[in-house]
Amino acid sequence: MTASETAALKTMLFALADDEFIIGHRMSEWTGLGPIIEEDIAFSSMAQDEMGHALGLYSLLHQMGEDEPDTLAFLRPADAFRNSICVELSRGDYAFSLMRQLLYDGAEAERFEALTQSSFPDLANLAAKIVQEERYHWIHNTMLVQRLAKGTEESRIRMQSALSELFPYSLGLFEPFGGNDLLVAANIAPDENTLRQRWLNRMCPLLISYGLAVPAHQKGDNWTGDVEAVFGGRNGRHTEHLMNILDAIQLLRKADPKAAW
Amino acid sequence: MKRYSFTCYHQPIEEGLALLGGPLPDHDTQWPEWEVFIQERRGGSHINVGAVHAPDGEMALILAKETFTRRQPCVNLWIVNTQDIHSTRYEDEAIFQSTFDRSYRNTTGFKLEKPVQATEVS
Amino acid sequence: MTEEQLLEKFEARIRRNEKIEPGDWMPDRYRNGLIRMISQHAHSEVIGALPEGTWIPYAPSFKRKMALIAKVQDEIGHGQMLYRAAETLGISREEMINQLLTGKAIYSNVFNYPADTWADIAIIGWLVDGAAIVNQTKLLLGSYGPYSRAMERICFEEGFHLKQGYDNVCHLMGGTQKQRDMVQESFTRWWWPLMMFFGPRDKDSVHSSDLMRWKVKIKSNDELRQEFLSSFVPKIRAFGLAIPDPDLRFHEDTKEWTFTDPDWDEFHRVIRGNGPMNKERLGVRRLAHEEGRWVREALEAFVNEGKSA
Repeated sequence: MTASETAALKTMLFALADDEFIIGHRMSEWTGLGPIIEEDIAFSSMAQDEMGHALGLYSLLHQMGEDEPDTLAFLRPADAFRNSICVELSRGDYAFSLMRQLLYDGAEAERFEALTQSSFPDLANLAAKIVQEERYHWIHNTMLVQRLAKGTEESRIRMQSALSELFPYSLGLFEPFGGNDLLVAANIAPDENTLRQRWLNRMCPLLISYGLAVPAHQKGDNWTGDVEAVFGGRNGRHTEHLMNILDAIQLLRKADPKAAW
Repeated sequence: MKRYSFTCYHQPIEEGLALLGGPLPDHDTQWPEWEVFIQERRGGSHINVGAVHAPDGEMALILAKETFTRRQPCVNLWIVNTQDIHSTRYEDEAIFQSTFDRSYRNTTGFKLEKPVQATEVS
Repeated sequence: MTEEQLLEKFEARIRRNEKIEPGDWMPDRYRNGLIRMISQHAHSEVIGALPEGTWIPYAPSFKRKMALIAKVQDEIGHGQMLYRAAETLGISREEMINQLLTGKAIYSNVFNYPADTWADIAIIGWLVDGAAIVNQTKLLLGSYGPYSRAMERICFEEGFHLKQGYDNVCHLMGGTQKQRDMVQESFTRWWWPLMMFFGPRDKDSVHSSDLMRWKVKIKSNDELRQEFLSSFVPKIRAFGLAIPDPDLRFHEDTKEWTFTDPDWDEFHRVIRGNGPMNKERLGVRRLAHEEGRWVREALEAFVNEGKSA
């Protein structure tokens, strides 16, 4: 890999690692507070999965010369984070968290499926492991979103409201980042626009089949969003939601900076 | 600097506190129970490990997966509605006990006769 | 068979160390005693998830965070298994949860105390889970099949809980002065709730010789407390932690610990709902329950719709 390719790869890996870490954090906020005991357990497992993916991605960055995973995740300031704004939003009600999970896991699956073909072997191997874990997430999320979209009038309203609110943010999962073209040329990573298109083509019909209104339209084979994507996260511009998360995860370290945890 | 404070567990729970002491609505969900059977490896038998509450079998499967296979190897999962399980009664336990010697049908219990001598064929 | 003959047969089975299974004849006091005990155990797990769950957002490293999520998840899982075991005795999960949320059920007092600092997570994981293990390993020998089966899975998982708690204490005690001070401060607060964990002294307990004879209760409160002290005091001292009871002493001749009694009035006050965190614990659970109601209703409606379609 050339120096510019390496730099571009790190940019991408930070984005993906931060996405997984922040969404894992949001998911873990439901542990012990879920609507059904068994569902609480399932959601906590998925939270741990995302945390594990984050750890894998940060470890890859560490292998490439960056700091240790704990330092990367627990010590960087907000403007160093490259997660999408979608994942940092506070957890909302269960409809919001589930809908976010469906949209996010859909993107995650597309992305890491493509990355299993990466010319960078360590990334390809990690991607294969992530894809495997995401299978259960997809089964779980589609089952729950479908049932709640159709169950009662209240659940339909909540799921619709969650989708309407989240859709522009979820488009932000594909915010362009510098160096994507280099990675594509070197077969290290897929093109963000291609990923976004695949994701739209998969998610829109699915959500419509659940009886939900999607702010998107179809032209030929392709779906296009009718709302503007919320960008900023991939360039370190975040909301107070990320501040809240970092306040929490950095509380102990800030109180005793010399300590190891 | 604005102090951002957060914790989902200490979110204003005045709402929760206000609910305390009040009655719960009449009906909350009491879903059917589904017995869970795990096959640890191909070739093995499915073993009962517990039960989950779920509104139907499809959901029971995905819930059982995390409730019971986090630390146990598994290649296949069955669920069966607890009500569909037919069982004998413990009062009838005696029907499984032999009062007479049944060792004749065990490998070690079945006694061989004296070996037959081969005779010359004339 | 007469009631007396049934009772004799039931007690003989227990004396032979055989399990009582659902559907077996059992005296009402046995059934009701077990329902109370198992449901209280289940409630304790579900409420016990809260003091530690509070700290998940603040966990300062991947190792600590993932272990803590897994531990709290396990506690919900234990609640799940225990409610199921109690259901085999003829009570529904919904009814048990209603009892908890309307304040009619009790659960282990220890969770009515706050987890004020990160060190509390370490102390709870090590010593509260440690105390629970002392209790739970005995419950494996209990006479009721579904309960002892649930205990097998629970004991298997508790080993991890203890380990992650102990590891955290080791790490903090080997760290900065601030970290060591945090552990000492936490331990000082938790000592008395731990001493109350196994319940009042035997001489002050509502004695049930039946429950002991029927192997519902395996060891007495005092016996369990002695075992806890023997297992953990040496390790506590090895860390250099000061124990807030200057009269705690082990007697070589009697092989027994003597100690200052905790404030048993406080114990009774807390168990009746007047502890530092009782209202908050129930408030959080009640709110979580209410906030999840629409989910449960929708999932049920979806299935019913399918049936009538």
